[in-house]
Amino acid sequence: MNFLPDPVLDHLRNVIGLPDFSQTRYRLEREIGRGGMGVVFAAHDETLHRRVAIKVVAKGVLQEARIIASLEHPGIVPVHDAGELPGGQFFYAMKLVDGVRLDQHLERESSLANRLRLFQRVCDTVAFAHSRGVVHRDLKPQNIMVGAYGEVLILDWGVARAVSTAGGNEEPDGTVVGTKHYMAPEQASGRTAEIGPASDIYSLGVILRGLLNPPAPRPLLAIAAKASAVDPSQRYQEALALGREIGLFLDREPVSAYRESSFERAQRFAARNPTLLILITAYVVVRFFLFFLRFL
Amino acid sequence: MNKPVIGLALGAGLGFLDGLTAWFTPEVRPLLAGILVGSSMKGMLVGLAAGLLARKVNSAAIGVGFAFLMAMGLAWFVASFPSETGKFYYWEIMVPGSIVGAIVGFATQRYGKSA
Amino acid sequence: MAFTEDTWIGGNAAGFPATRASLIQAASQTQPALAAEAMSAVIEAYWKPVYKYIRVKWKKGNEQAKDLTQGFFASAIERNLLSRFDASKAAFRTYLRTCVDGYVMHQFEAEMRLKRGGDTITVPLDFDDAERELTLCSAEVSPEEVFHREWLRELFSQAIADLGQLCQEQDKLLYLQLFNEYDLAEPDARPTYEQLAGRHQIPVTAVTNYLAWARRNLRSLLLDRLAGITSGQRELEQEARFLLDWEGRR
Repeated sequence: MNFLPDPVLDHLRNVIGLPDFSQTRYRLEREIGRGGMGVVFAAHDETLHRRVAIKVVAKGVLQEARIIASLEHPGIVPVHDAGELPGGQFFYAMKLVDGVRLDQHLERESSLANRLRLFQRVCDTVAFAHSRGVVHRDLKPQNIMVGAYGEVLILDWGVARAVSTAGGNEEPDGTVVGTKHYMAPEQASGRTAEIGPASDIYSLGVILRGLLNPPAPRPLLAIAAKASAVDPSQRYQEALALGREIGLFLDREPVSAYRESSFERAQRFAARNPTLLILITAYVVVRFFLFFLRFL
Repeated sequence: MNKPVIGLALGAGLGFLDGLTAWFTPEVRPLLAGILVGSSMKGMLVGLAAGLLARKVNSAAIGVGFAFLMAMGLAWFVASFPSETGKFYYWEIMVPGSIVGAIVGFATQRYGKSA
Repeated sequence: MAFTEDTWIGGNAAGFPATRASLIQAASQTQPALAAEAMSAVIEAYWKPVYKYIRVKWKKGNEQAKDLTQGFFASAIERNLLSRFDASKAAFRTYLRTCVDGYVMHQFEAEMRLKRGGDTITVPLDFDDAERELTLCSAEVSPEEVFHREWLRELFSQAIADLGQLCQEQDKLLYLQLFNEYDLAEPDARPTYEQLAGRHQIPVTAVTNYLAWARRNLRSLLLDRLAGITSGQRELEQEARFLLDWEGRR
């Protein structure tokens, strides 16, 4: 038997672990991620000659693909195709995002303003999904991609569910889905009837707190605290409202979540109007100088 | 409120306040009323002009610069007249006056409707 | 519904291969013929990893390592190593490696050759070949990693040999050739599907399908071999995960 070099051995381990796509138009290249609901591969579409991402899920779990396909938004990866494999698994093909996960992006992005703008885009996308009656239920930095040109995409809608405006969904009480650190209390305790858009807003609040390096501005901490309040009725009721608050902070306007002192208000005014402050200070200094010059 | 109106109001108000500081110069206190009127009118002129400029030009640097220079020019005109004691108050009139003009110029750029 | 890789480990089959299911389990119940068959499978899969492990970890020269390897397996046959294996404590692979350590530490000399240890067990052991391969292995890995890696390498090599035999039997030599030219090529020398198609005057889709067939069958043969040296379904699943590097990809 010929010796199998290490690179060849690794290649074999990779290829025989891949699902059989020979009867489809896709050629799998490599695994790029996995979660509880499926495995994602980079693949080549032999018909359209483009690279795609393919998610392979267990039998009977195409819910995710249907949900994503119903949400057409720049912040949600579009689904191109779906089908069944010989082994009985289902797959769906979607746009291959060229970018990095939010948690990885944050290691490189030190500007608070840029981080907050990214977060606003996440809020916009989540708000859109909510407007279509879809709750993500597993929002976290690992499920948010930042593209090469700054575009933000929310991935992994594997546990997303359509919820009625009255709240609740078809899963029985006690079902717990999501990621522990980012899960709203009602989600973590399995109170499925109470899960709704506010649960996603809780997750957004935790994500926001994660964007902030200490010492974080108090208004932002207050916004994050409000978003991730234990009582869903105390949180922002819409993701758009959360995004708007962030926008106000970026514009150095007062935010509803934080009651500022007079000194802080003056500080904010000064930060918004540095030129005016300089001119006023110059006037006062000149006046004082001229006044005391008389006595010299 | 549109930009020329803001310029007019702010120019008049700040010009009045600037003129009021003449009270700290005892020699010119008797002329305070005239100084207040003149200073207010100077401020209104600068404010109006800055407001009209702000309608056409959206640049804080240009607005501040224009108003500063216009205020300096008007202040020089006023300062070139000697006081009753024969003393000239170029520094006391021109420097603060120019800065007030700059403030008005900035405000007309930042606030008020263009139309 | 939670997703598991098990849904495709068995390919189209509903579960794991059962052709040589649980030989170790059967052998531990002291059926001589089955025990011999199990031991042959174990020696075939493990002799090279054991030899290389002894060379790397215990720093023995090649002659001494050769003697120790043969002595170990002879001793394993004499003492019925398989019957002592407890699947609830560890994978057989880990158990075997621990036994090797114990054996070398006590330095049982290889006076007992395999031939004397069991007339029904004959496995060709090409130590020169193993020594040559050792020079090709990376020097930067631990002895334990060497053992596990060599175990993988040996299993794959055997499964590839089985694939070759299958292709001969089913007259699918072109499939085998494509597999050899693509999947057994070094990464920087690997041709594209298009190049392979051109070389063999077949469509690209045929290349895709033939490679898929070869890989599917390689997987089955691999799992079949694995079943022969594991103690049951649970261990088979665990070892399959290691084999296919699913833990490493997480």
